[in-house]
Amino acid sequence: MMSKYIPTVGIEVHVELKTNTKIFSSSKNGYGETANSLTNVVDLGYPGTLPTLNEEVINLAIKAATILNCKIRRQMHFDRKNYFYPDNPKNYQITQSRTPIGYDGYVEIEVQGEMKKIFIEEMHIEEDTCKSAHRGSVSLLDFNRAGVPLIEIVTKACITSSEEAKLYLEKLKQLLFYGDISDCKMEEGSMRCDANVSIRKNEEDPLGVKCEIKNIGSISNVAVAIEKEIERQEKLVNNNETFQEQTRRFDDKISDTVLMRVKETGNDYRYFPEPDIPYVELTDQMIESAISSIPMLPDERRQLYITRGVTEINANKLIANRGLSDYLNEFIDTNLNFKEAVNLLLGDISGYLNKNEKTIYDTTLTKEKFLDLIKKMEENILTSKNLKDILNKILESDDSIDNIMKKCNISNITDTKMLEDIVLKVISENEESVQDYKSGKDRAIKYLMGQIMKETRGSANPQMVNQILIRELNK
Amino acid sequence: MKDQLTKEEVLHVANLARIEISEKEIEKYQLELKQLLNDVEKINEVEGYDNDILIACWSGPTNLRKDETGEMLNPNEVIKSAPRHSGNYIEVPVVISDGEGA
Amino acid sequence: MKYLNLEIKKINRLLKEGKITPVDLVNEAFENIENNKELNAYITLNKEEALKQAECLINKEVDNILFGLPIAVKDNIITKGLRTTCASHILDEFIPIYNATVVEKLRAKNMIIIGKTNMDEFAMGSSSRTSYFGSPRNPWNKKKISGGSSGGSATTIAARDLLFALGSDTGGSIRQPASYTGIVGMKPTYGRVSRFGLVAYASSLDQIGPMTRNVYENALLLNAIVGEDEKDLTSVNKREEDFTRLIGQNIHNMKIAIPNFFMSDIVEEEIRKKVEETIKILENNGATVDYIDVKYLENTVTLYQIIAMGEASSNLARFDGIRYGYSKENPENIEQLYYKTRAEGFGEEVKRRIMIGSYLLSGENAKVYYNKALSIRDDMRKELIKVFQDYDLIIGPTTTTTAYDLDDSMDDPSKSFMDDVLVIPANMAGLPGLNIPIGFDHSHMPIGLHIIGNSFEEAKIYHLASFIEKAVGLELNPNLGGENDE
Repeated sequence: MMSKYIPTVGIEVHVELKTNTKIFSSSKNGYGETANSLTNVVDLGYPGTLPTLNEEVINLAIKAATILNCKIRRQMHFDRKNYFYPDNPKNYQITQSRTPIGYDGYVEIEVQGEMKKIFIEEMHIEEDTCKSAHRGSVSLLDFNRAGVPLIEIVTKACITSSEEAKLYLEKLKQLLFYGDISDCKMEEGSMRCDANVSIRKNEEDPLGVKCEIKNIGSISNVAVAIEKEIERQEKLVNNNETFQEQTRRFDDKISDTVLMRVKETGNDYRYFPEPDIPYVELTDQMIESAISSIPMLPDERRQLYITRGVTEINANKLIANRGLSDYLNEFIDTNLNFKEAVNLLLGDISGYLNKNEKTIYDTTLTKEKFLDLIKKMEENILTSKNLKDILNKILESDDSIDNIMKKCNISNITDTKMLEDIVLKVISENEESVQDYKSGKDRAIKYLMGQIMKETRGSANPQMVNQILIRELNK
Repeated sequence: MKDQLTKEEVLHVANLARIEISEKEIEKYQLELKQLLNDVEKINEVEGYDNDILIACWSGPTNLRKDETGEMLNPNEVIKSAPRHSGNYIEVPVVISDGEGA
Repeated sequence: MKYLNLEIKKINRLLKEGKITPVDLVNEAFENIENNKELNAYITLNKEEALKQAECLINKEVDNILFGLPIAVKDNIITKGLRTTCASHILDEFIPIYNATVVEKLRAKNMIIIGKTNMDEFAMGSSSRTSYFGSPRNPWNKKKISGGSSGGSATTIAARDLLFALGSDTGGSIRQPASYTGIVGMKPTYGRVSRFGLVAYASSLDQIGPMTRNVYENALLLNAIVGEDEKDLTSVNKREEDFTRLIGQNIHNMKIAIPNFFMSDIVEEEIRKKVEETIKILENNGATVDYIDVKYLENTVTLYQIIAMGEASSNLARFDGIRYGYSKENPENIEQLYYKTRAEGFGEEVKRRIMIGSYLLSGENAKVYYNKALSIRDDMRKELIKVFQDYDLIIGPTTTTTAYDLDDSMDDPSKSFMDDVLVIPANMAGLPGLNIPIGFDHSHMPIGLHIIGNSFEEAKIYHLASFIEKAVGLELNPNLGGENDE
């Protein structure tokens, strides 16, 4: 019989920071450009070159540490991690080993209705390596990525299932994305995950032999990789097989992990303090200004939307779309009907944006125009059916909504006096239908409504007409 | 104190430094490296110091760089100095295992 | 006419008056170098470019005292378009695509780089005999070493080829060869001069400095090369000052300390005597000189070995045959590319130091050796700086012996470190230090005095050095003083 084991998972995440330039040089931090076009003598590790330190990296790292509830180290330095590898231009990587900028933090996730803290051991700053592509007997090196700023976020070994791992990563990604720390595009490698997995029988037992799964390409694959690794280890333990600490990678095609190498007696990285960068002292002013520039984070947004009448489902949907959420947040200080606004943003407007591959900021929907639009819809001046007809124009032309409606003859008549006149006129012209109505034939209402709409060439506000008509008929 | 390093110890340091050494050189280094190691061993005779470490002789406010793009090299300049290249890339014999680092 | 033997002010006047041009000076320097070819002071000469640059200066206004003067640059300082080898096979065809910050500063003064000087490979050594290009010879006796690692720069200045040279000093590499060749060499305070473009040996110790035939010219060159550099985070922001400003003043009430360790029997008696004679002169002129004890001085070689070799093992890891430099042809795989390129590209001394350095940082050793060294270094620095609460300057002999024979054995791997035992403390504490010649030994080889100042007090060092220079009044031109050819 299979016995049950407790898995223990720790996760390391590397994210590339959203800066203009590299961490230790003024070369552009960019993706997808001509090979070796984003480098200078520092990135290439030329003899005699020295690192400089990008202030935006420190700024973003302080923000990230704050978002991850980490303590922030006021005095820190960098260390050299020494290892020979062609993607490592100096054959050492500048990183932080002794004095990571953030430590002792946590990220809160909701697992099956219960809140759980995933503890962050430490968060440090380092430089990315160059990219290598393998072509037969040679590898080709592109140094554009060399020196791109990274933060590495290391959890404690406190994750106990693939589900938790997945929730943690989704939350982390959302936080870092919303914090403007990174664009977190796993497909472009700006967010990369490694998982350390081990199993043991009882809580009291020491941790089992650990296997590291490297560079998994998507969050869902992290979950699959962890599942598979737990299964593999369980099988081994059940067969009383011993196994060594090893590094594995996730193979997309077979949807399973494969062995990369068995770890020798620990890597010998020969860390020592980087002598080219003196101590970095974080001042109160640096920390305060970084923290004050953190945008509103998802949890707070959700709370806000719900308070303003948006359903939780819609709030979550909106948060999944950063552009729309940011757009909506511009109206926090207005009396905008958030419920109506969210319905429209997630509905017709999203449809338009997706179809046209645009963001809301690419449209002509200014703040005033949106307020006007929602108001018109609330007051039924504009019906949702009418809106569908003119949405493209609203989003593409600089015209006011009133003008667009006029041009398209959708001037919804809401003048009560005017509507009453028309209703009375139609009633007087259709005695027969009035009699039908009075004898209980509801169909007659529809006919009368049709006549009124005809009279107004469809521009009467239907709700108002309906109200007035019934009132008059019942007189 | 031993007066020479073992062969394995010499090979270990040569591997860390990625330097090929011949059998004959191993013998030479067994003696020479041991002498230098005996020298540095003297550090353990020093007493009375505290645990603060020196990383930089002077520390003032760190001069952080503004996040503005500066001059970059043309790919041609990058590959010109490289012994092996192909297209805009620098070339090396194929790398089998994956990177150790980030 | 030998213009380059004149005082700098005179040369400057002749230039201003249009009686000579930079071309004359450059031609004369190359003539001198050609005549002194056997000294092997240079790895690469910059003849064509230097002349071109000199010609361009002919019609320019002579706007500063260094204008149009030739200068020699140690071959571990990066010069755009001019081969920079670090005296190593691994860089023997390396043509840089950028300039070191100091090189830009020399250009700003319209100084003319005439060549790259010989040195120990990657500045590792104390006799310049680890150079891939053969060792330079001492102008006072061609059978003797010029010291190292800035041996070529010391040689060309001592031989009076020209007035100015740049060296670099990690553990005495400016001051020790200056002492062996009878010239003035200054290692400025760590952070005074940008290291951007100095090929790193041990980053926390390396510093570029001027090597000249006299104190005044030394201070002039330092004026030109100092300054905070945004490309070097370890460079320091200091108000501009004129390092010549105290030159020529009297030394009344100057308080000088001499650590007992510097005068212990590790130093040859002849040298100690010469230092004692100098002390007399100082005392007779109103200075006080006290013998004091300074903790940890006897440990500095050990600290240096650990820190310098540790840092070097990392700094030199970048020479792997991939992006630049020597590369093993047709390697079968990446590991062979690394192992063979580095085995063939580096010389013995460099390999030895890199291997030991890697070992010192590996695994638990980092704690046993490296971290301990950083702790003791911190204490040592505090001890040395404490001395300056009571004293203006610290003095002592620069070296324990005078220059020894070129064919003395190189088998002892500790020897090259012990040669620098008296000059290393200044690097460890980041303090400025200078060699000033104070006499000759029985075979007429120069003896030097080492002056250490508090951080950023180079001007005070020049003050004392200029006084001594005048007081001892030595003939320091080997071409005139008569070479000792025993």
